[in-house]
Amino acid sequence: MNKILAVIRREFIERVRTRAFIIGTLIVPLMTFGFAYLPQLLLKRDTRPRSLVLLDGASGSTGDSVESALRRVTLGTGATVRSRYNLVRLRTGAEVDRLRDSLIQRVGVDSLGAPGLDGVLVITDRGVEDGKVSYYGTNVASFSDMRSLERAISPVLRGERLERRGADSDMIAAAAVELDLQTNKVSKGRLTGESGESSFWLAYITSFVMYFSLIMYGIQVMGAVLEEKSNRIVEVLISSITPFQLLMGKVIGVAGAGLLQLAIWGGASFYVTSAIASRNAGGLEQVAVDGTRQSMSLPAVSVDLVVVVLIFFLLGFLLYSALYAAVGAMCSSQQETQQAAQPVTILLALGFIAMFTLINDPSSSMAKILSFIPFFSPLVIPVRYALSPLPMAEVAGAVAATLLGVIVIVWMAGRIYRVGILSYGKKPSFRELWAWVRTT
Amino acid sequence: MSSPVIVVDRVTKRYSGHTAVRSLSLEVPAGGIFGLLGPNGAGKTTTIRMLLSIITPDEGTVTLFGAQGSGRDLSARIGYLPEERGLYPKMRVLDQLAFLGECKGLSRWDARKRARQWLERLGLGDWTARKVSDLSKGMQQKVQFAGALQHEPELVILDEPFGGLDPVNSQVMRDVVVDVARSGRTVLFSTHIMEHAEKMCDRITIIARGEKVVDGPLAQVKREFGHSSLALTFTRNGAAAKSILADRSLVARVDDSGASAEVELAHGAEPERLLKALVMADVGLSRFEVVEPSLQSIFIAKVGAEAATPAASEVVA
Repeated sequence: MNKILAVIRREFIERVRTRAFIIGTLIVPLMTFGFAYLPQLLLKRDTRPRSLVLLDGASGSTGDSVESALRRVTLGTGATVRSRYNLVRLRTGAEVDRLRDSLIQRVGVDSLGAPGLDGVLVITDRGVEDGKVSYYGTNVASFSDMRSLERAISPVLRGERLERRGADSDMIAAAAVELDLQTNKVSKGRLTGESGESSFWLAYITSFVMYFSLIMYGIQVMGAVLEEKSNRIVEVLISSITPFQLLMGKVIGVAGAGLLQLAIWGGASFYVTSAIASRNAGGLEQVAVDGTRQSMSLPAVSVDLVVVVLIFFLLGFLLYSALYAAVGAMCSSQQETQQAAQPVTILLALGFIAMFTLINDPSSSMAKILSFIPFFSPLVIPVRYALSPLPMAEVAGAVAATLLGVIVIVWMAGRIYRVGILSYGKKPSFRELWAWVRTT
Repeated sequence: MSSPVIVVDRVTKRYSGHTAVRSLSLEVPAGGIFGLLGPNGAGKTTTIRMLLSIITPDEGTVTLFGAQGSGRDLSARIGYLPEERGLYPKMRVLDQLAFLGECKGLSRWDARKRARQWLERLGLGDWTARKVSDLSKGMQQKVQFAGALQHEPELVILDEPFGGLDPVNSQVMRDVVVDVARSGRTVLFSTHIMEHAEKMCDRITIIARGEKVVDGPLAQVKREFGHSSLALTFTRNGAAAKSILADRSLVARVDDSGASAEVELAHGAEPERLLKALVMADVGLSRFEVVEPSLQSIFIAKVGAEAATPAASEVVA
C-alpha cells in the first residue's frame, strides 16, 4: 500500500511541478478573467460624460421626451453616479440642415482648452415617423455608446408615434411592455427553482468539461506510461511493485493533478463570475452589453447533481485512462500512440456528439440506451441529470452497469499493460492483444 | 546460512515460436559472487526476469531464500539492476533514488537519507538537486547502481552491470560489487565479458540457447576442463607446427593465434607426445606450459561458435 502511495505521490508531484502544468493552470483563470472582467473594467473606466447637442426639428412634445429620456441615462456606480450626457437642446424649426452643418464643424474640435462636442443628434418629424434619427459624432464606432443612445431613444419615439395617432399614455405604456418568457424547471412534478436556461447552460458546461478533461488527462496517462516504457525504468519498478499497482498509482496520480487543476479553474471562474454578478447587482450598470449579465450568472447547482457528476467523472476517468494506459503500453513511440489512440478517442468523441442530441431530448430511448453503455454513460448521465434529474433507480442502474464495465476494462487494460510495458518493437495486432489479455 | 539463496528448478519460458529458457536448473548458494554467463540471446535476461517475477515461467519453479512468495513479494531483500538502464529524465536525482527506495518498501524519510548517503559515496553529492537529464551517462549509471543497492538487499542481481562503462567507472562499480559480496551478501550478475567473470566470480553457470552448459565453482570448472590445456609459443616453422596441431588423434581443439596457440589435447593423449612431435619438427619452441584454461576458452569450447547466436528457426515442439 505504501508503494502505491509512493507511485501516486511521485506522479502527482512531478506532474504539478512541470512548467506545462503551472502555465496551463494559470492561463485558464487569466483568460476567464480577461474575457469576463476586462470589458467590465473598460466600461467602468468610461466615466467621461458625452457632450451632445440635441438638434430638435420635431414638432410637439417629441423633443421634450427625448431630452428627458437622455437626461435619465447615468454613468458610473454608487457615489460617482451622474448624467451620461452633457446635453444642449436647440429647437430649430426649418433650419435643421444649416444648423446641423455648422455644429458638425465643432464636433471633435477643442476650442480654448475646452473639449469640443462629441456629437450632434438630429430629430425631425419625418424621422419620428420612419424611426430614423441621425447622429453625427466622433464615437459612432463605439458599440456601447450607440447601443446606449438607441436604447434611450427607441421607446420614446415609439411612444410619440402612438401618441400622434391618438393613443393615450396608458395604451403607450401597455404597448411598451416586451415579452420576457419566464422559464421554470419542473422535475418529478415539483418546481426546482432553476430556470430552463440555467439547466441548459449547466448541461452544456458539464458536457464540455467532462469531455475535455477525460481526453486531456487520458492522454496524459498514456504519455506517462509511454515515458516509463521508453525510458526503460519500468523494469526496475515492476521488480518491486505489481504492474497493476503501478497502473493504478499512475492513474490516480494523474487524476489528482487533474482534479487540482479543475478545482483551481472552477474556483477561479466561480470567483470571477460571482464577483462580477454581485457588482452588477449592486451597481446601476445600465450600459452593460445586452445578455452579458444573463450568461455570467452561475446557474444554481444542486448537491445531487454535483455528486452524480463526480461519480461519473471518476468512473469515466478510470475507464478511459485505463484504455489510454493500455495504448501507451502497447506502443514504443509517440508517433505510434497517435494512431493507436484513435479508437479510444473516437469512442469518447461519439459520446460527446451524442450529448448534443441529448440536450434537446434528454429522455429519448436512445438516451436511455446510451446511459447503460459504460463507454458513454460517464458523458451522458451527467448531462441528462443536469437537464432534469433522473429517477434514482435509473442512476443506480447506470452506475452499476458502468462500474461493471470499468472493472472489466481496467482488468483487461491491466493485462495488456503488464505484457505491453516489457514488449518492444512492433505494435501488436488485435489478435496478439487478445493473447496478451489471456496470458497468465 | 547454508541453504541456497536461489533455487531454479527445471524452468522453461517460451515466447511465440521460440524457447528462451529450456528446463533450466540453478542453485546459487548464499554469499559470494555468482556469474550467469552466456552469449547474447542465451536466455540470461529472461532467466533474471523470472527470478524477479517480472515474467512468470511457463514450467518449473523459482524459490528465493527458501521462502514462499515471488521475487516481487521478497523484493525488499533483493536489489536489481536491469540490462536496459532507465531513469525519469526530468526528475531530480535525490527524488528519483528516494522513489526507488520507497518502491522497495523503505519509508520516505529513510529512503531519502540512504539516497543521500549513496550519492555521497559515489561522488555525486553535489548533484542531488539536479535533474537526471543533466547527468552524464556514467553518472546516471552510478545513480542506478545506488538504486539497486541502497536498501541493503541480501541478494543483488545485476544484468550486464559493466556494459557501456568507461574503465574508471567500471572499476568503481566492480569494487562496490566486491564489497557487497565481502559483507556476506550474495551477488548474481550476468555478463558475456569473460574477463569480468573470471576475476570476480566464485561460481559460474554458462547457458546457451536457454540451456545450462557448465555449472559449478569457478576453480572446479577450470580443473575439470584444464588438465589437458597447453599454452605453446613457437618461433619458426609455423606450417609444420600447424600440421602437427591438426592431428586429431593428438589435439582436440586449437585456439590458434599464429606464433602462439592454446591447445586442448585429444582424450587420452599425453602432453609428452605432442612435445616430442613439436621438437622433431624444429618449430623453435619457446613455451610449452600446462595451464589452467581461461574462462574465455572454456566458454568458447562449451558454447561453440554456432551457439553464439540463437537459432531463429527453432520452433516450440
